[in-house]
Amino acid sequence: MLRDITLGQYYPSDSRVHHLDPRLKIILTLAYIVSLFFVKDYWGYVYCAVILGLVIHISRVPAKFVFKGIKALIVILIFTAVLNIFSYPDGTALAHVGLFTITIEGIQIAIKMCIRLILLVSGASILTLTTSPIQLTDAIERILNPFKKAGLPSHEIAMMMSIALRFIPTLMDETDKIIKAQQARGADFETGNLLQRAKSLIPILIPLFISAFRRADELAMAMEARCYGISTERTRMNELALGQEDFRAIGAAVLYGAIFVAVRLFL
Amino acid sequence: MDMVKSEKLKYEYTFETAIDEEEREPLVALKGVDITIEKGMFVAILGRNGSGKSTFAKHLNALLTPTEGTLFVNGYDCTQEELIYKIRKSAGMVFQNPDNQLVSTIVEEDIAFGPENLCIESSEIRKRVDRALKTVNMTEYARYAPNKLSGGQKQRIAIAGILAMEPECIVLDEPTAMLDPEGRKEVIDTVMELNKEKGITIILITHYMEEAIKADKIFVMDGGTVIMEGTPKEVFSQVEKLKGIGLDVPQVTEVAYRLRKRGIDIPQDILSIEEMVCTICQLKSKI
Repeated sequence: MLRDITLGQYYPSDSRVHHLDPRLKIILTLAYIVSLFFVKDYWGYVYCAVILGLVIHISRVPAKFVFKGIKALIVILIFTAVLNIFSYPDGTALAHVGLFTITIEGIQIAIKMCIRLILLVSGASILTLTTSPIQLTDAIERILNPFKKAGLPSHEIAMMMSIALRFIPTLMDETDKIIKAQQARGADFETGNLLQRAKSLIPILIPLFISAFRRADELAMAMEARCYGISTERTRMNELALGQEDFRAIGAAVLYGAIFVAVRLFL
Repeated sequence: MDMVKSEKLKYEYTFETAIDEEEREPLVALKGVDITIEKGMFVAILGRNGSGKSTFAKHLNALLTPTEGTLFVNGYDCTQEELIYKIRKSAGMVFQNPDNQLVSTIVEEDIAFGPENLCIESSEIRKRVDRALKTVNMTEYARYAPNKLSGGQKQRIAIAGILAMEPECIVLDEPTAMLDPEGRKEVIDTVMELNKEKGITIILITHYMEEAIKADKIFVMDGGTVIMEGTPKEVFSQVEKLKGIGLDVPQVTEVAYRLRKRGIDIPQDILSIEEMVCTICQLKSKI
């Protein structure tokens, strides 16, 4: 059934990483990603990987969930590797393939790029694995809040994201129903070439769109009826506040950064 | 003070943006509606599709403003733009499709949506949400995703979402139309309890006659006007008039009506099965 698909890749658990303030998690993840771009040698990557492994361990997310994200990345990895191998013709030549030259430097760069990508994606998946979509939107809203004065509609963006999340399962159910209804009347979605199959999707998409607009209309009315828009400021039931655990995480992150900088400067 | 008081309320739907010239003709949905509802009552508004009952319901929440005539909700004049939010705070509204009125992916967050809009303090919202969940008997579902719930449960969550705003009146626009019998019963029982125990005025728009039996007062609408009003007994005893406008009467009343037609002396205003059983037993003992 379509509705069994899990949204995002949230892995529910009760770990310390899960309970961190989602705003902090987003900021720390960004900091981690930035730090990856300052790594120069293999030891740096080993350091980052060890730290990442530690975080995965604390988060109690099974490692295979983290690596799932990398699997989806394999095409990009190969592409990056090939591109990099051939982009450094000025090093110690190893082989010539047609117009291109493969060099030791090229291979090294390619390996580093791939490691960087893998570490980057697994770091980002730790964020989405330990933070539910609703927490993420909530955090994004609050991080963007200071830019409200500059005209950024942070609340509206977050509202749109959370409504989208809310309606994905509903619309999936609906798609399922429409497909079955069309099949019951003899529609064929499985045979034919690509063009024919694409064409056969039209009788699914049109009813789906019409119903989505109708839903949007009703939802807007229901939201208005519940006083949405009464004032630009809204209060929240669950205010986010940094706790002790969050400060510990900040401490750990600062330590990570300090070691990083120290090694870069003095070694 | 009356919860709702409308006088000669008129409303026209306009289609000025329609592409086809002929379709721009305005549609008169309400042709002068006079309805007075006292506080604390349980009122049902009946009518077939297109009778104007839903249009009237939307006026009670200031989603539509009268074209002509007056409407006061909880003493607030519905033609005054600046009173809209006061009106929406006093009269909450539950819609037909449970899926299209829930905003959040978590039940308790959805219930908090209304109070959050009203800028109520966090700790107070928490209390209200817990209370509302308890009232509709859904406390154990607080952290569920709405799409994992049944139709009746979703509709109860929608009611809880309105309750958390602490309104004096709840308008329900065909809340059971998309539910199975079980869900229908859940919702109606919840609504009855709110009326009896919390004294909240209930305005139930429906076309299920069985739901209207329990009301204190019934209004029947047709063609944009109120054509009948009174207690359930008064309204349902006029079987022919109701059938004339395409409405049904409760099953038991129908049986009584047919028995009378056959010449059996039986009162016309029987609404419940118990009443029916009593009357028939009395008849039998007379024979």
